[in-house]
Formats: sequence, structure tokens, C-alpha cells
Amino acid sequence: MALKPIDVVRKHRPDYMILLFMGIIMLIGLVMIYAIGHQRANVLNNIFGTNYSENYFFINQLISIVLSLGVFFAASKMPVKYIQKVAKYVLIIGVLACLVLALGGALGLGFAQCTYGACRWYNIGGKSLQPAEILKLGMLLYLSLFLAARFKQKKLDRSETLIPLAVLCGIAMILVVVVQKDLGTGVVLGMMVLSMLLIAGVSKKILLLLLGGAVILGVIFTVGTPHRRERLATFLSGDTSTVDDDEAYHVTNAKIAIGTGGLMGVGIGNSVQATGYLPESINDSIFAIMGETFGFVGIVVVILLFVALLSRLLKTVYFLHSDVGRVLVAGVFGWIAAHMIMNIAAMIGLVPLTGITLPFLSYGGTSMIFLAAALGLVFNLSRYTAHSPAEEGGDDESLSSRRRLGRPRYASRSRN
Amino acid sequence: MFLDFRKGSRVRVLAVFLFVCVALIIARLFQIQIIDHRKYVAMGESEYVKRLTIPAKRGMIYAMDSGDPVPLVINETIFTLFLDPQVVTKPAKVEEVIKKVAGGNVKASISEALKDNASRYKVVATELTRKQAELIKKEKLAGVGFQETTRRVYPENTLAGQILGFVNSEGEGQYGVEGALNKQLKGVDGRLESVTDIGQVPLTIGAKNVNQPAKNGENVVLTIDRNVQLEAERALKAGLDRISSRATGSVVVMDPQNGKVMAMANWPTYNPADYNKVTNIELFKNPVLQDPYEPGSVIKTFIMSTGLDTGVVTPETTYRNTDSITIGDRTIHNAYKGLLGNITMQTVLNYSLNTGAVTIAEKLGDGSIDLKARETMYGYYHDRFGFGKYTGIELPEENRDLVPPDTPNGAAITYSNMTFGQGMNITMIQALSGFSSAVNGGAYYAPTVVNGAMKDGKFKPRTDIKPKNANVLKPETSATLRGMLVAARNTLYASHNEPGYIVGGKTGTSETLVNGSYTQSSTVASYLGFGGNGTPKYVIMVRVQSDGMNLEGGIHAEPIFSEISNWLLKYLNVPKE
Repeated sequence: MALKPIDVVRKHRPDYMILLFMGIIMLIGLVMIYAIGHQRANVLNNIFGTNYSENYFFINQLISIVLSLGVFFAASKMPVKYIQKVAKYVLIIGVLACLVLALGGALGLGFAQCTYGACRWYNIGGKSLQPAEILKLGMLLYLSLFLAARFKQKKLDRSETLIPLAVLCGIAMILVVVVQKDLGTGVVLGMMVLSMLLIAGVSKKILLLLLGGAVILGVIFTVGTPHRRERLATFLSGDTSTVDDDEAYHVTNAKIAIGTGGLMGVGIGNSVQATGYLPESINDSIFAIMGETFGFVGIVVVILLFVALLSRLLKTVYFLHSDVGRVLVAGVFGWIAAHMIMNIAAMIGLVPLTGITLPFLSYGGTSMIFLAAALGLVFNLSRYTAHSPAEEGGDDESLSSRRRLGRPRYASRSRN
Repeated sequence: MFLDFRKGSRVRVLAVFLFVCVALIIARLFQIQIIDHRKYVAMGESEYVKRLTIPAKRGMIYAMDSGDPVPLVINETIFTLFLDPQVVTKPAKVEEVIKKVAGGNVKASISEALKDNASRYKVVATELTRKQAELIKKEKLAGVGFQETTRRVYPENTLAGQILGFVNSEGEGQYGVEGALNKQLKGVDGRLESVTDIGQVPLTIGAKNVNQPAKNGENVVLTIDRNVQLEAERALKAGLDRISSRATGSVVVMDPQNGKVMAMANWPTYNPADYNKVTNIELFKNPVLQDPYEPGSVIKTFIMSTGLDTGVVTPETTYRNTDSITIGDRTIHNAYKGLLGNITMQTVLNYSLNTGAVTIAEKLGDGSIDLKARETMYGYYHDRFGFGKYTGIELPEENRDLVPPDTPNGAAITYSNMTFGQGMNITMIQALSGFSSAVNGGAYYAPTVVNGAMKDGKFKPRTDIKPKNANVLKPETSATLRGMLVAARNTLYASHNEPGYIVGGKTGTSETLVNGSYTQSSTVASYLGFGGNGTPKYVIMVRVQSDGMNLEGGIHAEPIFSEISNWLLKYLNVPKE
């Protein structure tokens, strides 16, 4: 293979396509919430006697988007070195937040919001916060630094790297999957870490071992707890299940919504499933409502928007010469891709329901703000891509052709 | 775009992973949205297209009260209270509020119902009034719902029970006016086919929505006068109480000038509100309309009318009375004996002489009850007075045909019996309608209980009443007959009359058939008469019987007639002659 010229990486314009695609997706989500939010309010008011105003959900979503954009820009302006400083603390805060929540839940304290014995949310003054999001961001930041450093030290495949990694991932997984009983977030975390390990250059053998281990663990956890077994049973029983079962009801109605959409959809404001039939219509199930509203054509466009956004991330990984950056962006890719795939696949009956959000579309602030923060970092890093692909770690190629990475010469300042 | 990555690149692994997942998703979406589209549309429709019936409001039934309609049957909205235990948030409060407001309507099982989280629908109280329902609704309790239904309410309780009939649990009218005018009262239910939200509230979404409003039932105003009905029921019951505790009977009061039934009373009767507690179905029947019987001597009025109208007799015509007369192999005796020799037709009516009645029939023929006589009788009885024919009243009636004159059993013996009301089965309404035409100047009006309708709170009287046959009798025949009936009544019951009015009538005591032969040990007593001044204002027929008792028209039925008649003269403000 011919030697490539050494790139001189200057700080340049960030990849605005990332912002563009994220913005379009957010906007579509906002339109959806606008269209069905009043119905959601109506349903909740009628059944639970709450008193949501017609525009409650729309206004809150608008606030979430404004906050997310603020966080996005803050992250995009943050000096890379600063990220390296705070990574450890974000992770510690994430772990502590999860522990405090578990404790609060066990003691029955007011701030812990629990359903079916699983405490996943903080309830602070009527607002909800999911600490697993902090944990995900912490893992992302900390692991990208850790893996890049170990790669630089050529200790990536050694036990002195893998053992602390396993311990950290094990703690995170136990907090999320065992304590919070949130397999969905566990899968997201797993896909995020795997993406990072892949890009960091962990050997194929170890990757395959990890993948196999993750699948086995997933199966064990699925079969191990009644409520997940129930979900799996629903999934396996498919369309033939009755709608008496809550889970089956949810999936069946999601499919009715999507199927009713047909080729062109029923149009904005004409969703029937959003009037109370489909549970979580504005949160986890918004994809189904979109399938009903926009039809096959529209929903494929929405999926392709995600693909476009994610491919910008992959492109950033590909052309980024900073190891930390590459691993971090890969993690963000895994994070967003896992959310999107797990959410959609559940709605169309390809995987069991796990109750995770559709990025930037689902109603709710926590998930969107943290994803925006992560994307802001990617946007930040996209200023430092080179014109040629970065050399990758890993055992895919002969060692002879491997050049050391991580030494792009930063231009003193972009010429502006 | 994402396969631009160099072969073997690890970024490409991620790209391929994404590509495979997205391809799977899109393929699955294609299957759900394009291939199975119809299936899911059908599933959706069965889930959220609700076909609702908008019940039509059943029409109310009014009676007259001194010229103004008053409600006799009204609708009341009642509420059934149900709980969705899964949604109830404050079970203690729910139980407390419901028990406080609805007290006696609450089922004892409410506490268990609240705990039954497996159920989403538990009826815990029934027949709540609108006020009770509103008081509970005001508390805004989660998981508490109401279902609205209506029921018939009878402000006058048993009054006119058999005329009204009832509405069964399916909303269909049974017996009486409710049964006969069911279609008119019921209206037409509306249809609502709509996409609804999960709370069954119709949405504007969807093109298939059907909204056909209900056509409410008509409000029917009866000819029944509430006060006359009350008096008729009172007088009947009082009269029956004088006879025996087992005595039964009926009274009909009608306006002879138009066939409007002013009262129709029966004993025993029932309360339509408690129709489901009635054990003997026969009680639902109206004997005035549905019990053809041999009316006895009241029918002498009609053979006399026939004789007068055909000119074969006048009140002064005499015949030779021997207290018995032989027709074929049968000998007919008089009940009242001793008036032997030459007797006038007026005396025949005064003392109800059977031989005289048979004599009129013989005069209709060529000296015997031949075919000519029988055909003339049939022509008057059946064709003109309407015996053995449905009267056309708006209520269920039963009919027994008269024996035709040209059949073997329509021979002289049967027709001789028919001159004094045996050998023929007619209903009271047939007798009274025929009697109306005989005394009103000769116009037959079909009896009716429908006086008009209430529309938008206003009484719209019907305008289509006209005689079915204006020439039943010559007017002068009718006038002569009235005079004879007044004289007949005055012979024995002059003292019963309020002075200054014109009241006439005829008693009847009919033998009943027991095991195929007539017996005097169980008789039906009746009285058929009219009252008013120059023009008859009312006709009344009274009928009483008690198993195993020999009742007589003059003793047991006539006093009931007198009470009602005298009361009516005052109630109707009839000017004295």
C-alpha cells in the first residue's frame, strides 16, 4: 500500500451537516408533538384526571429542543482538553446518581420514580431526569480517553486494560440492567462500548468474545426476570397474541398504527392511534405514530435522515486523526444507532420492547439533551478531520503498514 | 454514501452494521405498510370504529284533563354507576361519596368491586336519579363512570294500566297503547358510526363517519279523560266490593258523537311500572277489547232498533205474551214472568221480555225467523252495528265472528237467541260502539283512544274523525229508541237519576256456557246506557261477574252505571233539559 502524504490537520469549519440533520429530525419531532400532544393531554386528563393544557407537551418539547441546542453549542465550543478533565467527574456523577436513585427507590423516597419495582427516573419538582443518560455520557467520555491512552501505550489487548474495562462496564451494566431493570439502556451501553472498542483497535478475537458474551448475558437477563420474560413472550407470540396482555397490546397497536399508514400515511393530525390506543404515543411509540402519519415513504425518509446523520459520524471517525476523538465519535455513533435501531425494531416487532427513546423525536428532555451534548462534541471534533483517512488500530492489517497515530500537527489557528 | 470507506476499515464494519439493520427495518416496514396494509387497516377499524346507536326518545303518553293534556306516561333518565377499579385512585373516597349520595341504590359488593383490580367494569349502583349522578360527578373521582338509560314512569300509578300497557326491557311496547302504537311511540333510533378515541368519544378523523340523528317517538294524547277514568275505576271497584271480593268487571265510557273513549276501567288491573311482578299474563289483556262474551239482554236494544228502523214495529206495537215461545224444538222463556196478554214493545224493553224480542225477529221475516229475517238481523247486527267485526280501535282487540244467516247452525234457534244477546260473542267495545250509533242519530264512529299528539309542548288534536257509516239508523229511529230507553230505565231506576237530564239504558243478565249448556248459576250482569240532554253526551257500558254467582244487570251493574252517569253529568257540565 502506498504511503499517504502526512496530513497537516488544521482546524476548519465543522461538519454543519451534523447540525442540519439533527435539526431536521428535531423539527419533525416537534411537528409530531404539536400534532398529537393535545390528544395525549386529552387522554391523560380523561383517564388520570390530570390537567395538562393542549399545548403542554409541545411547549415542553420546544423548551427541550432549545435547551438541547444550547447544550449542543456549548459542547461544540468546549476545548478538547477540557473534555479530558471533566470526563472522570461526569462518570463518577453518573454512577453516583444511579446509586442514589437505587437507594432512594429502596427507601421509598419521593424523588425516586419507580414503576413495576424498577427505579429509572429522578422526579425533581415535577421534572424527570434519567441518571442512566449521565452514566452513558460519562462512559463515553472516560472510555474514549482511557482506550486512546491504552492504545498509545500498545496495551490495548492486555489484561491490564481489559480488566479495568470489564470492571467499569460491569458496574455500569449492573446499575442499569440489574438495579434499574433497564435492558434497553444496557443494550445501548453495550453497543456504544463495542463501537468504541472496535474503533480503538481491540483485536478481533477479543471483540468476538465480547460480542458473544454480551449476547449470552442478554439472554440470561432476558430469561432471568419475569417482566423481561413477559416481553420476550410477547415478542415471540407475534401478531397472534391477544391484546389483553399489556405488552402485546402495545406492539399490536404499534403495528396497527404503522400498517394503517400505508404508502403515503394518514396525514398530520389524523392519527387515530394517538388518541389513546397506542401507549406512550409521544414517547417511546412516536415512531409508530410517524409511520401512521407519514406512511412508508415518509417514514423511510425519516430513517434515511438518521442514516445520513450517522454516516456523517462515521465519516468524522474515518477522517479524524485524533485517537480520543475517533473513539468518542464512534461511541456517539453506537449510542444513537442503538437507540434508533432498538426503538424502531421494537415498534415493528423485530425485537422485544425495551422502552428506549427515538433520538431527538421522542418527547422528553433528558435523552435529547444528553444526545445533543454528545453530538455537540462530535460537531466540535469534526473541525479536525483531515482529507485522508486516519490510520486505524487493530489487527486487521499487517503491522508493518501501521503508522503511529495521534500526531497530527494542529495548525496554530485556523485562518478564518 | 457510507460505503465509501476503505475496504477492511473498521469504520466500514460499523457502516455495514448500520446498513444491514436499516435494510431489515425498511424491509419490515414495507411488509407492514405496503403488503399487509389492508390487514392492519382492518385490525385498526375493528378496534376504533365504533357503531353506536343513538336511542330515540320514546314518546310520552298523555290523557285529557278537562280539555287539556296531562302526562300519563313519562320518561325518566336514570343512571347506572360503574367503576374501573384499575383507574380508581382514592377507593376510600369513592366508596364514601357514592354511599353518601346514592345510599339505597348502592350494591353491597362495592367494597369488593373497588378491590377487584382485574376488572375494568364493575356496576356498583343502579337507578340513580340525575341529581344523584350530578352530585357524584361533581366530585371528579377518577375511575367512576355513568351509563344513561331511560325508564317509563307512571305518575298516576295503576290508572288506565290495561290501556297503557308497558315497555319491556328491550324497549318494545307490550299490550295496550304501548304495544299497539309501539312504532309511533318508539321513533327511529339514530346511527352513529365513527372513529372514536379510547374513551369512545367520537373523533372527526376518518371519512367513513355516519351520523344519522334519532327520530324521537311521537307524544300521543289519549282520548281518556283522567278524571273520568278515575271515577270509572273508583265506581267499578266500589260496585265490585259490594258483590264479592272475587268479583271482576269492566266499565267503558265513550262520547257517542265521535267514538272517543273517555274511560276504560277494568278490575283486576296492574301497575305498568311493576309489569314484571305480574304472574298472570291474562292480566295484561284488556277485557273490554279482548274478551268476547255473550252480552245478554242489553242486545234487545239492537233488535228493537232493527224492528223500528225496518218499520215492522213501533213502541206501541203489541204482541201476545205467554211468557214462552217455541222455536223449532226449543222453548224460550221470559225471565220476568206474569205480564201476560197483549203487551207493547215498550213493555218488552221495560221488562226485558225475551218472547217480545223473538217476536220482533219473526216480524222481520214472514212470520217466522226465516232466511229473510236472519239476513235482515245480520245486516243490522254485523254490517251496521259492527258485531263480530274488529272495531279498528288503536288497541289490541279480539273478535269472534257472528254466525252467518245462511249456514246450518245459523238457523232460527241461534238467531232467536241472538235477539236477546245469547248465541253471539261480542266484546264490550263492539256493543258500546254499536250502541253509540243507535242513540246518536244513526252514525257509526269507530271507537278510538287517540285524541291527537303533543308537538313542541302544544296539543294538536286530530282532525280526521268522521263516521264510518252515517246511516246506521234513520235519525227518527234513533230518537224513538232513545225515548224507549229512557222509559225502560225509568220503569225501575227513575229514582237513581239526577233530575233534569235525559238518561236511558238497558240491563243485561247473560247466562254463561258451562260444559256446553247455559246456566243461571253463573251469570254476567251488565248495563248499557246513555246520558245527556237533547243529545246524548256519553254512553256507558258496565259489566260485572263473579264465578259461581248469579248476578243481575239491574242489581249489580246498574248502580255502577248510575254513579258514573250522575257524576259525568256534573263533570261535563251538561245543561239541564
